[in-house]
Amino acid sequence: MGKLTNPKAELLEFVPRPSRPPVVVTYGFTGWLKKHLFGGFWNTLQTIAVFSLLYLLLKPFIEWSVIDAVWVASTRRECLEISPDGACWAGVITWFNNLIYGRYPDELQWRINLGFGLGLVWLMPLVLKKLKNKIGIAIMAVVLYPFLANYLFIGGEPNGLHYIIACVALAYLMMIYINIILIYTGCQLLEQYLEPLLERISPKKAALLSHVACWFVLSLLIVSIFQGVQLQHVPIDMWGGLFLTVVISSFAIVMALPIGVFLALGRRSNMPVIKWFSIAIIELVRSVPMITVLFMSVTMMPLFFPNTMDLNKLSQVIIAVCIFAGAYMAETVRGGLQAISPGQFDAAKSVGLGYWQTMFLIILPQALKLMIPNIVTSFISMFKDTTLVSIIGLFDIMLMARNISIDKDWYGLHSEPLVAISFIFFIVCYGMSQYSQSLEKKLKTSR
Amino acid sequence: MSKNKAIYNTSLRARTIQAFVIIISISIGYYLLTNVVDNLRQMELPFGFGFINSTAGFDVSWSLIPYDPSMSYGRVYLVGIVNTLLLSAFIIVFSTLLGFFVGIVRLSPNLLAAQFSRWYVEFFRNVPLLIQIVFWFIVVFSTLPAPRQSYSLFTTFFLNNRGFYFPAPIFQPGFIWTFITALSVIVCLTVLLKKSKSYRKRTGNLLPYYYPLLFAPLVFLTAVFVLTGKPLHWAIPKLTGFNFEGGFFIPTAFAAAFVAMTIYRSASIGETVRAGIQSIDPGQIEAASAIGFPPAKSLWFIIIPQAARAILPPLINLWLTIVKESSLAVAIGFPELVSVFMQTSLNQTGRAIEIVLMVMGFYMCASLTISFLLNQYNKRIQLQGG
Repeated sequence: MGKLTNPKAELLEFVPRPSRPPVVVTYGFTGWLKKHLFGGFWNTLQTIAVFSLLYLLLKPFIEWSVIDAVWVASTRRECLEISPDGACWAGVITWFNNLIYGRYPDELQWRINLGFGLGLVWLMPLVLKKLKNKIGIAIMAVVLYPFLANYLFIGGEPNGLHYIIACVALAYLMMIYINIILIYTGCQLLEQYLEPLLERISPKKAALLSHVACWFVLSLLIVSIFQGVQLQHVPIDMWGGLFLTVVISSFAIVMALPIGVFLALGRRSNMPVIKWFSIAIIELVRSVPMITVLFMSVTMMPLFFPNTMDLNKLSQVIIAVCIFAGAYMAETVRGGLQAISPGQFDAAKSVGLGYWQTMFLIILPQALKLMIPNIVTSFISMFKDTTLVSIIGLFDIMLMARNISIDKDWYGLHSEPLVAISFIFFIVCYGMSQYSQSLEKKLKTSR
Repeated sequence: MSKNKAIYNTSLRARTIQAFVIIISISIGYYLLTNVVDNLRQMELPFGFGFINSTAGFDVSWSLIPYDPSMSYGRVYLVGIVNTLLLSAFIIVFSTLLGFFVGIVRLSPNLLAAQFSRWYVEFFRNVPLLIQIVFWFIVVFSTLPAPRQSYSLFTTFFLNNRGFYFPAPIFQPGFIWTFITALSVIVCLTVLLKKSKSYRKRTGNLLPYYYPLLFAPLVFLTAVFVLTGKPLHWAIPKLTGFNFEGGFFIPTAFAAAFVAMTIYRSASIGETVRAGIQSIDPGQIEAASAIGFPPAKSLWFIIIPQAARAILPPLINLWLTIVKESSLAVAIGFPELVSVFMQTSLNQTGRAIEIVLMVMGFYMCASLTISFLLNQYNKRIQLQGG
């Protein structure tokens, strides 16, 4: 203390501290390597362990699947002669068409492509900004599109109810696209041309009437146009491959949402009967394995219907899968409903909305938005679980892949088809899961 | 006026709707039931569970409990249940261990290890389980060498295309003393661990002579075992003719189902563990390292106990899923419940309704019991009043 206060004291000589050791490099490529791969003993050990594991696993796999693989051959014997240790992709390539379309006749496969193509075409307008009534289009896609697709897949005589509904669906699709063209060229909607005429009959419901009238006229037009086109009948037994997998899983995915929403609402209902009914269905279905539900659908379900009724295996399976998916979806929806604050219910009640209005206009739109990532996740698991139908003998992609090994040309070709369909499933499921994660991020920032 | 009141009376409306639902479900139920009765009468198969006492007459390829074709369908049901439970227990234990490992490695500071773990998870959970099971069975386990050329370890463990053979213990009469000692040793050790824990909580030190105390009972146990004349022999599998005899054996179907489902579920458990660990405030880890905890210790004493609260509820669901999913082993012919009862027995007897009810009943009971027990445990470890 005294030293500092005395101005005459000798000035202290400045002695610098010894310089610190150089900073560990944390920048540049070396820094990156040090930080992520070789920082310390354990880190280095992990790098070496994973690297050797990768080498042990990937080297034989790449040698088998790429370097030694045979791509062109006509039989498995030929494959083995060319390269005994490599994969025989030639068999998968020869059977590829069957893996995708099952035993559907080759010359009619354009109908499957067209059917799925129309589905995409139907859903495409949903991303357009100028179009109104998107919910209507989506609902119509769910209600009408299956009939159109089913008619294309099954075929049959151009008469009867099925043909007419398919034409009505096609007419609706055409109307959407005519309206899109009209909107983007700056014209009125198709039905708005008719409105002035119909306003004289019923001024209030002119819009609806003209809409229906346009639709009706277009339907008549299409029914008469396609009257001359004969689609060859393809029985359901011939369906198979990825096509069948997609048909079953899309039924499950589409039906799961409404079933799930109603079961979830029922579970939260104040009415004891409905509440316990929903709880019973949800818990019952969720506590048993899917394979038992499938076995039930093919062994027990026929007993519940008069034996004059002609049930096919596919529809039994689809019913089972829909119920199963619905019960699981109900729990997802319940999670979403629970995340909505009770204030929303109170607010809806205070402005005088009834139960269904509250649910469909206020609660569900918010809850569904929250649930989208979970819904996509359950879609993925539904899509994967569809492979179980092969156990009860439907020729989905799994059973088609297994069947390659009993084909006389490709006898014993087990691993290649399995690897190939694993790859297909991985691409589809991984793509969906990445999409759901990006959606999750997007929805989080917007809230 | 009174008409309007009736419409807007919510309780009356609720009652009407519920009555309507009841009436509709009863009438649908009645319709289905009359169909069932008609169909069964035509098939001359009256409803009843009497068939479970009749002789099954078919062999089951592998069973944990003794079984032969002269036994009843009831026994087949039991065989299926025991096999299912065994398979699921193995999968649950090993996939949880592997899953924890995968989840922890996923958060490793080492980029290569973390990415490897990530792609492990992505790959195995995005490929359907059924494909994986069939792949392991057909491509891996069925291409193992025949019994004569089987892989062996110390010439006591054998692996070939029929299954995995390992020694079986044969207990001699004198083993009872070792068994009794073992039981008392377990009791002693439990008491000791509890004592030492409470002592450590009180004083912060280990119990005096902790390690010697820990080992004394084990030494005692060995002494009893040796003094009674080592009353335990091993039946070592031996190649006789075309197959092995003696020892235990698990079929390749079990091994394939076990490996495939363990790997498949370890991916989802790994994700659950990762999410649970990430839900912990990073301050906890920093605090642990600040007071000098090495990473391994802070993982074990700080992170996992807290993460367990977040991990356990989804983990319970995954375990239930495993019990249900073990039924997929039917695809490769492992004799679990669905395979022996819903396939073989149902095909033989044609009693669809009874068998479906029995199988579903088992899975329901199993799910409800497991979820009840684990939820009780879960309630105990969750933070109270949080």
